[in-house]
Amino acid sequence: MSDRITSALIGGKHVSSRNGTSHRGAGASQKPALEARGVSKTFDGQVVLRKVSLKVMPGEIHALVGQNGSGKSTLIKILSGFHTADDGSEASVNGRRLELGSPAAAREAGLRFVHQDLGVIGDLTVTENVLLGERYPRGFAGRIRWTEANALAKARLARLGLEIDPSARVGDLAPAARAGVAIARATSRWDTGSSVLVLDEPTAFLTGSDVATLFEIVRRISSAGQAVMIVTHHLDEVLGLSDTVTVLRDGRVVASEATDRLDSERLTRLIVGLDRACSNHTPTSTGSGRETLRVAGLRGGSVADLSLHVHAGEIVGVAGHTGSGREAVAALIGGRAEPAAGQVFVDGRPLPGGDPRVAIAAGIGWVPGERALGIFADQNVRENLTVASHRRHLVAGRISVRAERAEAQKWIDALGIVTHGSDAPIRTLSGGNQQKVLVARALRRDPGILLLDDPTVGIDVGARSQIHDVIASRASEGTAVVLVSTDTEELVRLADRVLILVRGRVTAELLRGPHLTREAIDAAQLG
Amino acid sequence: MPLAEGATPTRSSSEAKPPGPPEAVPTRSSPIGGGIIGGVRWGRLSAAGLLIGFVVLFGLLRPNEFLTTSNFQVTTSQGVETLMLGLAFLVPLCGGAYDLSIGAVMELSLAFIAWGTIHTGLPVWLLCIVAIALCCLVGMLSGILVVRFRVNSLIATLGVSEVLAAAELLISNNTTLVGRFPTTFQNLGNSNVAGVPLVLIYLLILAVILWFALEQTPGGRSLFAVGGNPEAARLAGVRTNAVVFTSLVASAAIAGLAGVIYAMQVGTYSAGDGTGLLFPALAAVFFGASQFSGRPNVWGTVIAFMALAFGVKGLQLIYGPSSFWIDPLFQGVALVIAVSLASRQVYQTRKSRRAELEPVVSASAT
Repeated sequence: MSDRITSALIGGKHVSSRNGTSHRGAGASQKPALEARGVSKTFDGQVVLRKVSLKVMPGEIHALVGQNGSGKSTLIKILSGFHTADDGSEASVNGRRLELGSPAAAREAGLRFVHQDLGVIGDLTVTENVLLGERYPRGFAGRIRWTEANALAKARLARLGLEIDPSARVGDLAPAARAGVAIARATSRWDTGSSVLVLDEPTAFLTGSDVATLFEIVRRISSAGQAVMIVTHHLDEVLGLSDTVTVLRDGRVVASEATDRLDSERLTRLIVGLDRACSNHTPTSTGSGRETLRVAGLRGGSVADLSLHVHAGEIVGVAGHTGSGREAVAALIGGRAEPAAGQVFVDGRPLPGGDPRVAIAAGIGWVPGERALGIFADQNVRENLTVASHRRHLVAGRISVRAERAEAQKWIDALGIVTHGSDAPIRTLSGGNQQKVLVARALRRDPGILLLDDPTVGIDVGARSQIHDVIASRASEGTAVVLVSTDTEELVRLADRVLILVRGRVTAELLRGPHLTREAIDAAQLG
Repeated sequence: MPLAEGATPTRSSSEAKPPGPPEAVPTRSSPIGGGIIGGVRWGRLSAAGLLIGFVVLFGLLRPNEFLTTSNFQVTTSQGVETLMLGLAFLVPLCGGAYDLSIGAVMELSLAFIAWGTIHTGLPVWLLCIVAIALCCLVGMLSGILVVRFRVNSLIATLGVSEVLAAAELLISNNTTLVGRFPTTFQNLGNSNVAGVPLVLIYLLILAVILWFALEQTPGGRSLFAVGGNPEAARLAGVRTNAVVFTSLVASAAIAGLAGVIYAMQVGTYSAGDGTGLLFPALAAVFFGASQFSGRPNVWGTVIAFMALAFGVKGLQLIYGPSSFWIDPLFQGVALVIAVSLASRQVYQTRKSRRAELEPVVSASAT
């Protein structure tokens, strides 16, 4: 498939602006394909979008950029009808008013969304995926005319520049081809009228050459006069592909202008909101204690090459966008996934990969942020706390529930877990308190290394700050802490050093000090 | 573990001023499980209630036949093998694995013993031990298929079950095997101690051992952890593979024991003696899983089975000897009700898990 596309180059600015200008020139007199006017959104009294307005012209590739929490996702979700908008918000598609908060209306108007998970069904064929939700060509007694359907799917893919066997299973395709199938489904309305394709971080899980393929597809779509809005974190993608950029910060549009007039530095400033945003430090060790954890050349999942070392008492943060490898770091170190290459050392001894038991025995205490990886929903607080480690409560081979309760109560008090006692079902606890139980589970084995994988994601402020206090106090007692986090504020608050991952590699290391700010972490991630 | 309780208390932060007392949550429990008797937790005791209800009802209707020692002895001892199979099914079920081969494993044990008494001169106790050892090997085979080759447990044990059926046909030459058992052996299966059938005592001993293993030991906790959330269990340091493997071996051993008991009680093998008990056994386990703790458990299974058994017996007494059809009808209805109770709970558990994921997903998707 990639040989079909010969001119695919990242940063192929010439291609894009040639396409772009021709349509933008024509577009001056046209109605915008998508227009949002004064879109606001308030969640529980918190304003996340403030009168956001933007225009996407037919044939335009429009990049929507901004940090996590800037309101991009909320805006996309309002357009797709997942969220309603506040009163006074308006949007129109091809000049016609769009009813906000209705997925059916968004679909009817011609808005199509491809999210980073693509939404394709791996077990179905390419044809079945491309035509999903449409009427198949039918024959006698409702029989699907498969030859015709396959030809239709093939044609849809061909106009994106893709040559994919329509009877192939989508799960067997390369990532870029899967993305192509998702886009082919989303661009079904080319023939009947103009549509707007919204790509929500489409490149998060793609590698270099796949990204190039995707860009080529996007360019073809726009050169056919369709409007494309692309949400991304990567500046090279914005600058190399788009005609227009809208930058959101704290729920406001801070800029909406032609890509030609922007460069990487100015764009970073707009996104992050500081004049001197990027400050790359030379990595030096702050380690006061001995080196407890060392990771050398680790590769696996979306991690391409990770090396790090953590000293006793040190908190090392790891930041990165989705797809940067951040999400695989804890899994590789903690033994959930077996690394393809590289080695983890604990206290200088190599740790065999791929076995959580070995990692636990070596003193690694993992707190997963995704609670589905930690919580036993059917069991109570006590059982969730002590799972797989009952040595302390055993009396003649039997678990002494009294001893277990006593220990559970100790942790409930120590971490301020709000529960109706240690026998309460874990499901009756709030997310933050469930998370505290997971922290307690890791801590009760006195780990030499705490491996925290986004430990406070999606939990309330009170629980978050209690967990922060626990992490800080453990570190001060000599525990080495790896803090993988999407929460930059958390990293700034706790970490002694923050490693920045971009496309699977550490691209920067920020040291604690006046320069370690949320803005600096954000800016460093804009690769 | 209240499976049946209100769907999603997870998201409502208990710190943020709960709208009502926490006790308010369980009132949204399953209308079937919780509503039979009306109270909040009465559904957890419905099997016990049913058992008492049947005893009272049929005791009033047919006091001279129902409330007799012999009725008690016959009803309980008839059900011992079925209940043992239920317990065999229960063990891997706690760990999320289904063992459908238990019926065939019981038959294997029975056929082997009966064949051995006819064709070998080995003492019967040795035959019993070898039979159970053979069953353990079958359990290991299922375990390897499930753990090592990642075959879905339902499919693996179904396959094993069919293969065993073939083995039994070979052993029995497709005939009924009438074993030649010494009287002492038959007495072990057919006598009473202080009015209580010996086989019932064996069953209760087994139940106590299983209850202890499942509810009181680290191994049991690990098993439930794997059954509840296998990946979380693995990450927490549970030897998930070993746990599932062991549970399947235990299940086969218990089924083999059921074959031994059947040999004591009846002494003959014919095809279908074990597999025919599978459905009633499963009905008892699933009904039992809605009892007490609300997850698969030993005493829930025992009481649910007894309630069903005495219900059948009472109906048979009322409708006379021609009502042989009542047994499967009652078992069938009970199975459907029990499984609908259980699947409702499975559904609710899934729902609450999904609800748990939601905040995480929405928060990370900014």
